[in-house]
Amino acid sequence: MHSLGCRLRRMNELSRAQIRDLMAQVLKNQDKELPADDAAQLREIGFRSLDFSELALRVEDETGEELNFDAPGLRRIATVGDVLDFLVELQHQ
Amino acid sequence: MSDPADTQLVPPSSVVLVSGGSRGLGLAIVTDLLDAGVRVAAFARTVTPELTKLAAERPDRVHVGSVDVTDLRAAQGFVREVEQRLGPIDGLVNNAAIGQDSLHVHTATDDIARIIETNLTAPLQLTRLVVRRMLGKGLRGRIVNITSICAQRGFPGLVAYSATKGGMDAATRSLARELGGRMLVNAVAPGFFASEMSAVLGPTQLDQIVRRTPTGHLTEPVEVVPVVRMLLREHTNINGQVIVVDGAASI
Repeated sequence: MHSLGCRLRRMNELSRAQIRDLMAQVLKNQDKELPADDAAQLREIGFRSLDFSELALRVEDETGEELNFDAPGLRRIATVGDVLDFLVELQHQ
Repeated sequence: MSDPADTQLVPPSSVVLVSGGSRGLGLAIVTDLLDAGVRVAAFARTVTPELTKLAAERPDRVHVGSVDVTDLRAAQGFVREVEQRLGPIDGLVNNAAIGQDSLHVHTATDDIARIIETNLTAPLQLTRLVVRRMLGKGLRGRIVNITSICAQRGFPGLVAYSATKGGMDAATRSLARELGGRMLVNAVAPGFFASEMSAVLGPTQLDQIVRRTPTGHLTEPVEVVPVVRMLLREHTNINGQVIVVDGAASI
């Protein structure tokens, strides 16, 4: 996954930092805070699977590209970093 | 047009066509019917070594082929081959289906169309084809649609899949009426299997289902097979029903 870091981003692609901002907004709407630590557990900050859906749809809105994915990939997501990695990676598919 | 009831009995099926017969429940159905002395035709997108072996062991009673259930022309060709090799088809098991493992909002629209085509349109077409052959020959026969508990209960990640299975349950009832007793049409709705498509549910959800199941275990193909055989072979008055095989998990 880290090897993608050196790849040139496509024009309409969101950076990891931009996705982090969107994630903070999703949480803020529920009066929750996004910790700065990527290792923070989603369970502890109250970021649930439908919140992930909301975030993915917000990324779609920004980029104009549909992001479709299977459920099994989601089950491995446990931390804030996992969410960001998943969405960065998904934009490359 | 309202006809008087047809009181002649529907005999046990002797030549049964099974779609998606190459692995999992489909393969178990094929094997079981062969053991019961039935002639069996099975097709699947990919013919597995297991299915090839069955065909090699009993060439006089098995016909297999590589057919995609959504390819109606190929299915028609296969049905003709079967009739020549094994005799007229008087039983059909609509088993071929593809699974789903994605939330509805994140499922590509093409994938939704593909699930509906494979799991709903294709079995309706195959049923039409086989029923036309049976009616045209004056045969009485039996149809078993393999559906799923998620036609009746909700599960995340299976929205389009559930819709197709519910569609087949509904078609089962209307077909039983429409065929006026000339054919017995039923559905068998298994609960989740530990293997195969249940990969979609993930270990946590499967554990939850097991905990809620009075019999304490997920359904196995071997537990579904006798019900399919009964509907194809036994003299019962069961018609237009959906029989759930899930250890009462959904009750």
